[in-house]
Amino acid sequence: MPIEIKNLCYSYKQGTPFEKKVLHNVNLSINDGEFIGLIGPTQSGKTTLAQHCNALIIPQKGRVVVNGCDTAEKNANLTDLRQNVGYVFQNPDYQLFAPTVGEDIAFGPVNQKLGRDEINNRVREAMEQVGLDYNIFYKRDIFALSGGQKRRAAIAGVLACRPRVMILDDVTAGLDPRGREEILAVVRKLHEEKMLTIIFISNSMDEVAMLADRIAVLDKGHIIIDDTTKSVFGEAEKLQQIGLELPEVMEITGKLREYGFKLPQTLITLDEVVELISADLQGKQVGE
Amino acid sequence: MELTKNITLGVYLPGETVIHRLDPRTKIVIASLLIFLLLMIKSYPAYGMILLFLTAVIFISGIPIRYALCGLKPMLPVLILMWFFQLFLYSSPDAHVIFSWWIFTATDAGMHMGNLISLRVFFLFGATTILTLTTSMVGLTDGMESLLNPLRKIGLPTQELVMTMVIALRFVLILAEELDKIVKAQMARGVAFDRGNFIQKTKKLFPVFLPLFINAFKRAEELIVAMESRSYTGGKGRTKMKTLHMGRVDLIAGLIMLIFSAIVILIIFTIQPQI
Repeated sequence: MPIEIKNLCYSYKQGTPFEKKVLHNVNLSINDGEFIGLIGPTQSGKTTLAQHCNALIIPQKGRVVVNGCDTAEKNANLTDLRQNVGYVFQNPDYQLFAPTVGEDIAFGPVNQKLGRDEINNRVREAMEQVGLDYNIFYKRDIFALSGGQKRRAAIAGVLACRPRVMILDDVTAGLDPRGREEILAVVRKLHEEKMLTIIFISNSMDEVAMLADRIAVLDKGHIIIDDTTKSVFGEAEKLQQIGLELPEVMEITGKLREYGFKLPQTLITLDEVVELISADLQGKQVGE
Repeated sequence: MELTKNITLGVYLPGETVIHRLDPRTKIVIASLLIFLLLMIKSYPAYGMILLFLTAVIFISGIPIRYALCGLKPMLPVLILMWFFQLFLYSSPDAHVIFSWWIFTATDAGMHMGNLISLRVFFLFGATTILTLTTSMVGLTDGMESLLNPLRKIGLPTQELVMTMVIALRFVLILAEELDKIVKAQMARGVAFDRGNFIQKTKKLFPVFLPLFINAFKRAEELIVAMESRSYTGGKGRTKMKTLHMGRVDLIAGLIMLIFSAIVILIIFTIQPQI
């Protein structure tokens, strides 16, 4: 499901005194099977851009074409489109409403008017994918879930629609480190095993650096960089200028370089760093 | 899909005009007087006067007229329904029948009544919208509190009442924003709100209103904690950061309102037919 965004402009509260331009002439194409990170300071238009991708917002100006279907077209089947492009909101409380976890996850398939067995299969599969045990959690009260479990239930609720593209809007915000790790593992698995296209909005540079193949950087409604993860973080100054931090790994390698370690500037994940340093140290030992 | 776009009630539009600078108490009293007049008016010339007055105020305060009117959009169906109710249900002995079909009979008196009541709601809404658009939340609270202060003597917790009212007003917008997000979250799971028959459509409201109510309770609880953690214990002994004081503009505004009220009352008691 390739997504093609062309010359997209959007103003919030258009036609009122509070009108505010959120997106300026945005161009972006997202290919099948990509893992793209959307980063940018707050109010930069990340969510607005992402919500255009599954027609939750219809373009005011410009075009959004999802798998050949223009979302602004009058007879476009947006309900189907939204099932194919799943959207997980930051706050699971906006989505969870049914008394039990199972019923809530079944909500999407029920809307698709699927048969009972098919619905059950999908719920079971979705729960397995996010690591919620079917037997334990199916009948669990929604309000008895922890923050991390709620997020996973919300993701499962979207997965049960069997989307080809998943948009994850800052889904790790406010979670403890363990809950965060669990969610990230789920996301990675979805991309690697299910080959889902992932659009990942995050305020954590570490997460994006670790997961994304490609990153689009938004600032005040403009896409200022759109490149592979390594090249994006190669432009450290530009990122810092718009108020973004660098991944922790980059900060650490910077410090290590000052102490004489020979590390290239392009390292962004911890594994790479560990490998190089240990190789470096071993080499020294052999030399001595 | 932007629900918050059409909500003007409880929104403050900052500005530097005379209307904005008026003491909140003056504005509240003027708005209350207007409401009082509106409840007595039953004729078109008097409504014409009110229209003139409100248009002048909107013009001076610099509120875009289109914006002031767009708040009315969500209320339009209710207004129309009310108009039809009056048309078919109200009648007087000397009324002329316009048309009659089955059990429905429309009379000219009913239509007249429908017009009057729709206009009344329209202007009531207009007057309150202008008040909140030009007065900040703090101003509104302080003004109300100060006006209600005499009632404290008979044991009414005025500060608490005003605080409650202002929070309720503020929540209108917050809840609308939240509703917007919830609707989107459910649409993303394949709910088509515009499809299906009446029962199916009603069923689709559950996934929206359940999270909304739950979140509203949560928010209310958080607000309580936030207020208490900053030592809010109700009105007793509370001091003000900004004290209100009336100036010359308030005197002029008050005089204009007095003259205006006199004219409208004159119209009410001379031209207006006594129904």
